[in-house]
Amino acid sequence: MSRIGVFVCHCGENISRTVDVEQVASAAGEIPGVAYACDYKYMCSDPGQNLLKKAVAEHKLDGVVVAACSPRMHEKTFRKAASAAGLNPYLCDMANIREHCSWVHEDKKLATAKASDIVKLMVERVKKGKSLAPITVPVTKRALVIGGGIAGIQAALDIADAGHQVVLVEREPSIGGHMAQLSETFPTLDCSQCIMTPKMVDVANHPNITLHTYSEIEKVEGYIGNFQVTLKHKARSVDESKCTGCGICMTKCPKKKIPNEFDQGHGLRTAIYVPFPQAVPNTPVIDRENCTMFQSGKCGVCAKVCGPGAVDYQQEDRFSVEAVGAVVVATGFKLYSIDRKPEGSPIQGYGEFGYGAIPDVIDGMTFERLASASGPTGGKILRPSDGKEPKQVVFIQCVGSRAREKGISYCSKVCCMYTAKHTMLYHHKVHDGQAYVFFMDARTPGKGYDEFWRRAVEEEEAVYIRGMVSRLYQKGEKIVVMGSDIQVGVQVEIEADLVVLATAVQAQDGADLLAQKLGISYDKYNFYSEAHAKLKPVECATAGIYLAGACQGPKDIPDTVSQASAAAAKVMTLFSKDQLERDPVVAKVNEKYCVGCLACKKVCPYGAVEEKEIRDRQGNLVKVVAYVNPGVCGGCGTCQATCPSKSVELDGYTDEQIMAMIESL
Amino acid sequence: MNAKANKNQSSCIEPSYYQAVTQAIRTQAVQVLKDGTVAGVVGYLPGRRKGTARPALITTPEEAEKLIFSPACVNNLSVYLTKSKKGVLKQGRIGIVAKGCDMRALAGLMGESQIKREDLFIIAVDCAGVYGSRAERSESVTEANIARKCHECTVHHPEGADFVAGAATELSGLTPLEAEEMARIEALPQAERWAFWKEHFSRCIRCMACRQVCPFCYCEQCLCDKNRPQAVENSPRPAGNTAWHIVRAMHLAGRCGGCAECERVCPMDIPLNLLNRRMAKELKELYDYEAGLAPAEKGPLNQYKEDDDQSFIK
Amino acid sequence: MHAEAKQHDFEPKIVAFVCTWCTYAGADLAGTSRMQYPANVRVLKFPCTGRIDPVFILRAFQKGADGVLVSGCHPGDCHYMAGNFHARRRFAAFRALLDFVGVDLHRLQFSWVSAAEGGKWVEVVTELTERVRAMGPMLEFKSLEHEEQWSAFQAMADVPGVVNTPELKEAYDKI
Repeated sequence: MSRIGVFVCHCGENISRTVDVEQVASAAGEIPGVAYACDYKYMCSDPGQNLLKKAVAEHKLDGVVVAACSPRMHEKTFRKAASAAGLNPYLCDMANIREHCSWVHEDKKLATAKASDIVKLMVERVKKGKSLAPITVPVTKRALVIGGGIAGIQAALDIADAGHQVVLVEREPSIGGHMAQLSETFPTLDCSQCIMTPKMVDVANHPNITLHTYSEIEKVEGYIGNFQVTLKHKARSVDESKCTGCGICMTKCPKKKIPNEFDQGHGLRTAIYVPFPQAVPNTPVIDRENCTMFQSGKCGVCAKVCGPGAVDYQQEDRFSVEAVGAVVVATGFKLYSIDRKPEGSPIQGYGEFGYGAIPDVIDGMTFERLASASGPTGGKILRPSDGKEPKQVVFIQCVGSRAREKGISYCSKVCCMYTAKHTMLYHHKVHDGQAYVFFMDARTPGKGYDEFWRRAVEEEEAVYIRGMVSRLYQKGEKIVVMGSDIQVGVQVEIEADLVVLATAVQAQDGADLLAQKLGISYDKYNFYSEAHAKLKPVECATAGIYLAGACQGPKDIPDTVSQASAAAAKVMTLFSKDQLERDPVVAKVNEKYCVGCLACKKVCPYGAVEEKEIRDRQGNLVKVVAYVNPGVCGGCGTCQATCPSKSVELDGYTDEQIMAMIESL
Repeated sequence: MNAKANKNQSSCIEPSYYQAVTQAIRTQAVQVLKDGTVAGVVGYLPGRRKGTARPALITTPEEAEKLIFSPACVNNLSVYLTKSKKGVLKQGRIGIVAKGCDMRALAGLMGESQIKREDLFIIAVDCAGVYGSRAERSESVTEANIARKCHECTVHHPEGADFVAGAATELSGLTPLEAEEMARIEALPQAERWAFWKEHFSRCIRCMACRQVCPFCYCEQCLCDKNRPQAVENSPRPAGNTAWHIVRAMHLAGRCGGCAECERVCPMDIPLNLLNRRMAKELKELYDYEAGLAPAEKGPLNQYKEDDDQSFIK
Repeated sequence: MHAEAKQHDFEPKIVAFVCTWCTYAGADLAGTSRMQYPANVRVLKFPCTGRIDPVFILRAFQKGADGVLVSGCHPGDCHYMAGNFHARRRFAAFRALLDFVGVDLHRLQFSWVSAAEGGKWVEVVTELTERVRAMGPMLEFKSLEHEEQWSAFQAMADVPGVVNTPELKEAYDKI
């Protein structure tokens, strides 16, 4: 027989006003298995807690029900008190007779009867309860950061500075990401590369950071504190350990006219190349599709000129496994393209803007490259088609963004600011030029942002036209922009030399595939989902995986860096202990009765269920059963409701407990 | 080959068709046993009484020569493959004779990791129909004596087998008895539906034959046998009976392939397949899912779509 | 407005199976906001609607519930990401089954009540309680609890071939 103690709280008058607490206590005393029942003015006060502790000792209680407020309020308080008295905290439960009873009912008789029933339910629950010990999971204090843009770099540096090992993985040949491509940054107009490249060098030189560029995530196994991540190192065709970065291979490469991705296709590069001069690492990579050696087998110039003999045409993709305890996902974004979309894609192209076929209609990132001193034009604003300086430039905002009919309904957040910046850069470089901006709203929340935008309008002579552009077309050397000015209520037609589109920020290609490997969720735009929109904006619902930057949604640089540092802080918190303690409300499999239908595995939202082989002493397979990894289990219990034979059971909410509660109704 | 039967009370499946199927099964079984493809074949042998058949596991070509297929081959043999039942799979790759309805159970068991396709050699029967419960075991199969489930069979021509015995003979234009019965019950006022099932469930003697014969009731411990906690009372009283049959139908929902063995073996003639069919119909309507047409990774109740119907939720 | 003020002939027993993250918190909010609703509901807390087994509903009816409420997080709000999606399918199927065996579905309510919807909790509970009150007690499962198998056997007394001697009847009546 159990020895349960019931403590009925008056909560001042909050409960006792509508519930006859003495009657509830005396009724509780009659429940079989209840050894002690009393009522007290404030159970949560120190004397109240001491009363509980004393009663546990005096009456040798093996379970406690505190009938008071919501467990969401004081469950921790009373479990701690019970624990101090030597009881397992999970044998202490609360009967919610305040929020669920005294506060919502006026009839004292009915409320008292209900309170007694609630107490009875909880007594039955505690009677069938089990002692549970917190689950401890070892933590590998080594982090993986996916993506080497500013988000990944910041997170990696922060974690590494805290003294932990970091593996930084970047799929391009160099780290730097989009920020390395930018010319100047808002709202200060400081040079992006000037602030970015020192950080890139810091990464390369940091003793705690292992950098893997031109590498991708192949497979992720394990769980918080204990991930095994398989990396695919794509064949670079250059041995990183031998290459000195002298660059002679690039100067001698006969294939020199390949459009450079870093310059948005407007500059040229060789077949063996580094994406940009400040690349980290400064090790070239051979673009096999454009390399004569790989295509026809006749060339080999780079190998011949390479002093250390680093060029290796036979190199193959290599795989390595990294053990890490936490993962920061910082894979960034890509820009919407107005090109015609393949059939079936939910995103529509922009036929009204010529589907990207007009050469002097460019996107914002291309403008960044044109404005950049290291760009294809050396920082002169020259239009792509004929290299002439444009005298009239039209900027169009919200291209793709906030356009439900184009398949995207969100705001890309950074375009208002960078378009304002573009008009300024243009004005600084082409003094007699005129910038026009078609916009819906100017969204400028952020420190110094609105001031910056107003400067563009008021001091730098950008003409802002509130309205949308209906059509663009080529007319001779000009591009005719047809739009409306809804403030004045007139149709506008501008003959522009260059049109810059502020296209939407989108999730990276393959973001969904990476999410599936990591077991994290993503929204319909393939942006990664945080665990809670307000209170857990950095964590994924999958424990041990954190988000940084635009992979979660459009973000500017300060927000990205903040989130990256936040993610790093989360990782450091995780790494601050050798063992991770988890709430023991997790599912366990009864291997005796499990027949391995694996329905539990199919419904588990956490991927916590694995197959486990049971073998006899000779090593013969007896059967395959389900196994719930307690480090991964989130404790929802969907597995148990699904299991036909109830061979998997959620601790803390067992069938026995629930049935006992129902029986007592 | 026999001509298709017309919609005609007197039409029947010629006995010669079953002889042809029998011959094909024997030839195939002998071959796979001889060449070592399989260690044994689960099939049907003649029963002791004339016109009957019994399930058997045979392991030699000589025995294989005695295999038959007749309208009396009503059993769903897939039940012999699950570990917790007979578990014949231990012996290596196994051949199994399966009608279309039995194939659905095999597909379901594969989806539930109970058997592996590569462990099986499926000798499917292009089935024309089997006897109903009250058929004399000497007659030809006609609309009058064919099993109720065969009236609405959609899997006469099984797919995905290693070998198919026979081809394309079936009774056509049969009255869909079970669909009609289901529609009749659905149209009853709610209280009469309750009365209908109450009468049936009250008669249940909890012999558990329905569970024993079901290919999907392979749990090592049935929820309904558990007594800590006892979710379903296990004495044969109306309360526990009702709970048992509701739990059974719920656990089979989305899995049952409709072989109707539960109903066939029920000594109290409880129309159990009606419950199974009702659930199958619901899941087809809600989620466009039909169990057992091919091995599926996830059943309809093990998966979800974000835009699933929720009109019943406030 | 609230029911407590009046005396009713019949106070139905309502059992609510709720998830801890949304509906339980929503009911807490109704409390902190001092909203009023009928005192008939007894709340059983689960981590997630995904944990709620149809057997529990069945058992609740057998043990005397006149109405059952199952309530959890709105789709997309599940603390465990997908528990409520699985529950949604499970209960869609279970509802159809209960309907087919003749259970009046007006006694079984499903709802999504978020932690912010104290008002909706009150509305859902009040509506179910008053509806069930108007319907009267749920007798179907309760009456089964007290019935014996032989009563059906008796009903077949007139069916030819069924043994039903006065001795048997006497023996049965003694039980």
